[in-house]
Amino acid sequence: MAEFSWVSRSPLEQGLVTGVHGARGIKAGVLLTEIRNFDLIQVMARRGKGVQMASAAEARFGVAAPDVPKAIQTADASLIWSGPDQYFVLSKGSKHTMDTLTRALSQSASLSDQSHARALIGVSGTKARAMLAKLSSIDLHPQALPIGTAAATSIDHTSVNLWRGNDRPDGQAVFNLLVFATFAESLWHTMLDAAAEYGVDIRHSEEFA
Amino acid sequence: MVGRAQTHRLEKGGLIDRSAPLGFRFDGKTFAGFQGDTLASALIANGVKLVGRSFKYHRPRGILTAGSEEPNALVELRNGARREPNTKATTAELYDGLEAASQNRWPSLRHDMMAVNQLFAPIFVAGFYYKTFMWPAKFWEAIYEPAIRRAAGLGRASGVADPDHYDKAWAHCDVLIAGSGPAGLAAALAAGRSGARVILCEEDFVVGGRPLADGGTIDGMPAAEWISRTLSELAALPDVRIMTRTTLFGVYDGGTHGAIERVNDHLPSPPEHQVRQRLWRIVAKRSIVAAGAIERPIVFAGNDTPGVMMASAVRSYVERYAATPARRIALFTNNEDGWRTVETALGAGLQIAAVVDARPDVSPAHRALAAKAGFPIMNGSVGGVDGGKHGVRKITVSLTGGARAEVEADGLAVSGGWNPAVGLTSYHRGRPKWQNDIAAFVPDSAPPGMVAAGAANGAFSLGACLRQGFAAGAAAAQDTGRSGKAGTAPAADDEAFSLTPLWHVAGKGKAFVDYQHDVTASDIELAQREGFESVEHLKRYTTLGMATDQGKTSNVAGLAIMAAVSGKSIPETGTTIYRPPYVPVAIGAFAGHHRDENFHATRLTPSHHWASEQGAVFVDTGLWKRAQWYPRPGEKDWLESVTREVKAVRGGVGFCDVSTLGKIDVHGPDAGAFLDRVYINTFSNLAVGKARYGLMLREDGIVYDDGTTSRLAEDHYFLTTTTAKAGLVMQHLEFCRQVLFPELDVQLTSVSDQWAQFSIAGPKTRDLLREIVDPAEDLSNEGFPFMGAREVTLRGGIKGRLFRISFSGEMAFEISVPARYGDALARNLMLAGKPLGVTPYGTEALGVMRIEKGHVAGPELNGTTTAADLGLGKMMSTKKDYIGRVMAGREALVAPDRQVVVGIKPVDKTSRLRSGAHIIPKGRTPGPDTDQGYVTSVCFSPVLDQWIGLGLVERGRERIGEIVHTHDPLRGEDYDVELCSPVFYDPDGGRQRG
Repeated sequence: MAEFSWVSRSPLEQGLVTGVHGARGIKAGVLLTEIRNFDLIQVMARRGKGVQMASAAEARFGVAAPDVPKAIQTADASLIWSGPDQYFVLSKGSKHTMDTLTRALSQSASLSDQSHARALIGVSGTKARAMLAKLSSIDLHPQALPIGTAAATSIDHTSVNLWRGNDRPDGQAVFNLLVFATFAESLWHTMLDAAAEYGVDIRHSEEFA
Repeated sequence: MVGRAQTHRLEKGGLIDRSAPLGFRFDGKTFAGFQGDTLASALIANGVKLVGRSFKYHRPRGILTAGSEEPNALVELRNGARREPNTKATTAELYDGLEAASQNRWPSLRHDMMAVNQLFAPIFVAGFYYKTFMWPAKFWEAIYEPAIRRAAGLGRASGVADPDHYDKAWAHCDVLIAGSGPAGLAAALAAGRSGARVILCEEDFVVGGRPLADGGTIDGMPAAEWISRTLSELAALPDVRIMTRTTLFGVYDGGTHGAIERVNDHLPSPPEHQVRQRLWRIVAKRSIVAAGAIERPIVFAGNDTPGVMMASAVRSYVERYAATPARRIALFTNNEDGWRTVETALGAGLQIAAVVDARPDVSPAHRALAAKAGFPIMNGSVGGVDGGKHGVRKITVSLTGGARAEVEADGLAVSGGWNPAVGLTSYHRGRPKWQNDIAAFVPDSAPPGMVAAGAANGAFSLGACLRQGFAAGAAAAQDTGRSGKAGTAPAADDEAFSLTPLWHVAGKGKAFVDYQHDVTASDIELAQREGFESVEHLKRYTTLGMATDQGKTSNVAGLAIMAAVSGKSIPETGTTIYRPPYVPVAIGAFAGHHRDENFHATRLTPSHHWASEQGAVFVDTGLWKRAQWYPRPGEKDWLESVTREVKAVRGGVGFCDVSTLGKIDVHGPDAGAFLDRVYINTFSNLAVGKARYGLMLREDGIVYDDGTTSRLAEDHYFLTTTTAKAGLVMQHLEFCRQVLFPELDVQLTSVSDQWAQFSIAGPKTRDLLREIVDPAEDLSNEGFPFMGAREVTLRGGIKGRLFRISFSGEMAFEISVPARYGDALARNLMLAGKPLGVTPYGTEALGVMRIEKGHVAGPELNGTTTAADLGLGKMMSTKKDYIGRVMAGREALVAPDRQVVVGIKPVDKTSRLRSGAHIIPKGRTPGPDTDQGYVTSVCFSPVLDQWIGLGLVERGRERIGEIVHTHDPLRGEDYDVELCSPVFYDPDGGRQRG
């Protein structure tokens, strides 16, 4: 019998090369970090069950699920608005998987596993906004996009979910991008092209920022 | 580079950095200039007057303006792949090592053989190509057009790919301002102080506008000092952004504006990782056009002689660049503003040869100045210029009263008044209105949220510019909810602007209206005589205003001349429609990064990099890269590889990544009812754990898409689509869910990217699968029958799904795992399948096997076929309603003589069947009347050892066994083929059920 193993491989395994990219000799203006191996569950309210879904979510997470374009941080998950009566549950460490969430939410919602359907990329640094302005049509100004704001938008004609996470300890804003896995390598190169002039620091991590 | 002395450079002054000398070459000659020069100012500083030849007549031309309205001084900038034709010397910033060449001359600028065109001037009149080169018609393409193109034209494109990169970006603001002159800066001050987010775009590389040349006093201080203080104040405001080298070129819906930023045009080549230019889409709640005005020429004979220059340009070159276009200069003006040139010239130590003023009265102050400086003031107009490629020598003046005078001068400054830059305000079909006191068009309306201020609004005095700009800035900020204190407006005097309109001085010789397109006053008169009186006809007949400068210096004069000859007023004559872009924008900037391999995003399957390691040849399928076949050493062509792959599958086992198929989770209690409405067949009665082939129609009854859909739970179906239609089907189903059937409790999620899915096919499929799935899973016919579908545990503990479906006609399963395990699955299949001789196969082998099996695919689901055409008519349920049912019953869609899917094989087994070949009855002449269909899909069948195909043929199913003829006019191949059953292989389906 053949010996084989199931190695989980990120859609950016090949495209992402850690280290410095683009302009050298300056402090990298953009920090790109891919977060690997997460659980991502799409939750969609059943017809007319928005209220029940909200209370089931509150019981499960201790906070109200977002009903406007927001990303809400709970103790061990992010609830990210993705459309009317729907949101993502993003977590690590098998805390919120299809199995556990189905038990909690399936009376009022349909659940779909998207854990492998997306790549998650964090963008920060002094030039994060300048770089994202080349990719996204939405207004990234701190007044227009305060912490916790989410958007279902597009980059390079491709759907993405974008939300602003908590600022880094040094005060820099953090933008999170969920991109479709099969587009990820292509979009990654588009992002590197946009960021190259500012100098890019590339990393990947098993932990959320 | 070492340049010769700058003979026409003033000792001091100007906004140039004399500590930063720059060398450059023009037409191979070496010159020197300074940082802060444009190519035009540096040429002027070196005494160069002749810079180009005109479009049609190859007349010698010099520099007319000092801005982006320049019609004459177009050059080819840079070399090789970076050569840019038609670059305005007046806006090209000088850099060390710049190389430029004049255009449209042969063999050289000074000795242009094509100047002979001037002798043929009578045939190059308005509309000449409609009249002269019409007959014989066939001569046009072969002779006339190439000859005209050689003789006339502008610069040469490099002809090779642009080595530079461009990008695109978005910006957002409350208040967007075009122009950094007094009005623009005052607007930025007011809006910025109020707390608004402000973006100010300035086309020039220096902020300030006209005061950079014309000075003035603002708030009691010299304009230069006020500009510098204002910039400091603006820089201290958190949300004011000033973008130089950026031209606002258009305004679109929803407050979106287009701007082009010349990020690195001022360098020989962009620094590493930087772009050449950036295209901006700026979304603004309010916008203020403070783009100033353009001084207009007066049309007189010889007005295109090198050395004839706009008066404001003369001042710009002298004051801003310390470069003197002439040593003894004459001024021809019809307004007060032109007189500024006299002060500038005298201040720089130049001689004034004469001032020709078309106005009846000249102020005593001017008369005193003339007396003191010793130059004559002539009341009248310039009627002719004596000179040529070496510049102006003498001008002829027609004095009021009829006398003539001659004035010796080496330069002539001309001011015919100013035209507000009405482009941006008119781009939404706005028509500017005529304002009598300045004899110019001013904005009458503007796109929503946009206003004009200052000279762009017809307010020419410094004081008025500041007041209007400030008020507009304050109002715009307030409109956007910014309520900070704007403070007080900067103040300046309101100098007089008195003008007597003068457009055209009649006289002998060519008098140019549109310099760049060589349109003369007589062309306009001719157009009027021939009935092309409407301004839109005039424009197209004479090409007035259609050159790269879009008539910035010529349109109004052209209208005025047309008005005069047709006996109408200028406002009655009207303007043509204004359209963006305001300045030419490189196509590369619109493309941005979307070129070459980045033309569109690409999608990679989970096993892509594994397939790449295997040496797979990839094919672009929509956005996807798909493995097409896996060549092995020694195989001479694709056909050999593909044939091997097919035989390996049919004789053993192979696998193929089919992750590109669209995959949709259909959830909810009404999921089955929903699928019954979107498919022609029934899914609500599908048992959990089973898959079924489904077919969807469009509303019009034509087949839309097909695929298998499995029921994984009572309230959960897993639907698949074709690769090509994945996104469209998702959209279609969302539309059905949200709009057509809102009463159904159903939810849809794309899971295309969640699952890596592989087809495993061949008689040894189970042997391979038993190595992959947990031994506890029953894969026998009883435990996992044909069309079974369920979750399984794989060896190693991860969960996957198995679907017993077959596209190849072989015993087959599709297996899916979460996508991050897709690469591992491919490797594990190879490892586990090694003893079985497992063979990865690509889309070509997949295609061969589906044709052998008679399965329809994209070429048959081509937007013209019905379910019955495809042989699937029996799937159309009669017990329920579904999308497309009613329209599918239309007479023509159920006609018995429709072209339907049938198998095709050449009678001569060695013939190669071709897709697209037409089917005609044997013995008939090919033509529309005898055409009975065509070949849709072909392949070489390893099983039958010959080329076979599927086709759509009239009454095809009734004609099995008939010999017909294929006609291929493209490849010239005609031969007999037999119509046969489309199922070439295992017609009773025993293999896939086995």
